[in-house]
Amino acid sequence: MSRRRVAAITRRLLHQFRRDRRTLALLFFAPLVILALLGYLLRGGGGVPQMGVVNEDTGPLGPVVASQLEHSTTVSATAMSQRDAEAKLRNGDLAGYIVLPPDFSAQAQQAHTVAPDVRLEGSQPGLSGSILQAVGQSFTALVGTAGVHFAPKVSYLYGGPTFDTLDYFGAAFIGLVVFFLVFVITAVAFLRERGQGTLERLMASPLRRSEIVLGYMLGFTVLALVQAAEVLAFSLIVLHVHNSGNVALIFIMEALMAIAAVNLGIFLSMFARTEFQAVQFIPLVIVPQVFLAGIIFPVSTEPGPLQLLSHVLPLTYAVEGMRNIMVKGADLGWSSLALDFGVVLGFALLVIFAAATTLRRRIA
Amino acid sequence: MAAEPTYSVEVEGVSKRFGAQPALDDVTLRIRRGEVYGILGPNGAGKTTLIRSLVGLIVPDSGTVTVLGRRMPSLDILARVGYMTQQAALYPDLSAAENVRFFAEIYGAHDGVREALEFVDLWERRDSVVSNLSGGMRTRCSLACALVHKPDLLLLDEPTVGVDPQLRVQLWDRFQRMARDGASILVSSHVMDEAERCDRLGLIRFGRLLAEGTVAELKRKAGVERLEDAFLKLSEAPAT
Repeated sequence: MSRRRVAAITRRLLHQFRRDRRTLALLFFAPLVILALLGYLLRGGGGVPQMGVVNEDTGPLGPVVASQLEHSTTVSATAMSQRDAEAKLRNGDLAGYIVLPPDFSAQAQQAHTVAPDVRLEGSQPGLSGSILQAVGQSFTALVGTAGVHFAPKVSYLYGGPTFDTLDYFGAAFIGLVVFFLVFVITAVAFLRERGQGTLERLMASPLRRSEIVLGYMLGFTVLALVQAAEVLAFSLIVLHVHNSGNVALIFIMEALMAIAAVNLGIFLSMFARTEFQAVQFIPLVIVPQVFLAGIIFPVSTEPGPLQLLSHVLPLTYAVEGMRNIMVKGADLGWSSLALDFGVVLGFALLVIFAAATTLRRRIA
Repeated sequence: MAAEPTYSVEVEGVSKRFGAQPALDDVTLRIRRGEVYGILGPNGAGKTTLIRSLVGLIVPDSGTVTVLGRRMPSLDILARVGYMTQQAALYPDLSAAENVRFFAEIYGAHDGVREALEFVDLWERRDSVVSNLSGGMRTRCSLACALVHKPDLLLLDEPTVGVDPQLRVQLWDRFQRMARDGASILVSSHVMDEAERCDRLGLIRFGRLLAEGTVAELKRKAGVERLEDAFLKLSEAPAT
């Protein structure tokens, strides 16, 4: 073992990186961006779940519970009528509501048991948990002083008590896995075409740029669709991920995401010289999207400015669309799902256009 | 259709800069139909830039390029041009035959795969994956891809690098036969014994076409016996 030879390798490596400013920037800049984003996301004073309080109690205890809830820090509770609450639950403004019936006080005093209705939207297990927690806390005073037994009757608009975190994440990940893998594979394949000189050859042939983009798109879409079908089948049959929607719709959404990913891969490969640089797009392009697209943290609980950003990211709509279908059983008649499809389709068309135009500019 | 133009390539006063670096400086040259034209020059002289401007990969800053009677860039004309890049540009995961077939389809040719592979002596190895071929075989496969559609103009950027001497002689015989059949061939090279086999030569250096003519004309102009000396002498000319 020669110290000089080892040192030569070490030195050469550091020298190389000194020339590769891009990799250096990534090495020292990207972690800060990602951590800062995560910090802001979790501590930036994001919203808490919205809940409704329907207090119909004629006795003294209802208002006590209602005011406890309205002062809760785990949820943001507002008093409203049951009809309003149900409507808001259905359009997604509320994550849940509680009904304190007219005989609430009477029941508590006579039967020493209270069983209010708690109705949850249910598509986001985290939010449902917060609401159940807040409701539990608001009853502790009551339970402690009067020795009242507390047994809420929980019902769900979507999902149900067995709806778990995998059901929630699964819907998003089915689309995501396809999107990211296809993106990376296309970017690398296209860079290889550039590196091995065959792109130059294609550009000197009678091929039109649009023919290249379309050919690539079809080729990778075939692969992506097989992958999408496999992922979907595995999720539904083996993992039993909750699905109340139309499998064909899920598949169409996946296909749109795959087409967008192919073209995003071609487009972004124009900004990389090597396959190594293409892989660097992962922390810059993909990680922030995973944080902000509502995959892990619901968009509604993000700090305000990040919510704006989330609403610009096409992936947010793709994820929401997948959840709309799989968790809520939405069909295209739902305006929210129609919007999701519209945005993802629009994004796909945009990147197809971007891929075709940059291809022309870089070569001609 | 109009009669075929006399010239397959007409380059008129073409200049191209990359940043401050002039790559082509007011180059004017013509290649006749059925002619083998050699572009001679050291590395970095502008040979590749000139060839790339003929297929529209480079748009000149000034001047015009006309190929087979049509101003470039023109996609229709490109179907009648074969272009072999300096680097053997092939798909390494495909076999030799699959590569040639792919380019045949791109250029709209329906057959000729066998003929092209036989031309470069690779028919026996047609099913070998390109990444398993030697450097010389890859060069030959790349050449087969460039001529599978029987182009009227064949552009060869240093086509015989890494090809062994016997095959090189064979390939040159075939180039000359293609030219006799009416194709025009532009070959860039810095190998002098190849240059001897061209109908006409252009000497290029610092992006400028310094001298042009048949081998005999160039030797006479420089007043020397060997082409190599003529090349060295004529290259110095503008500096003095």
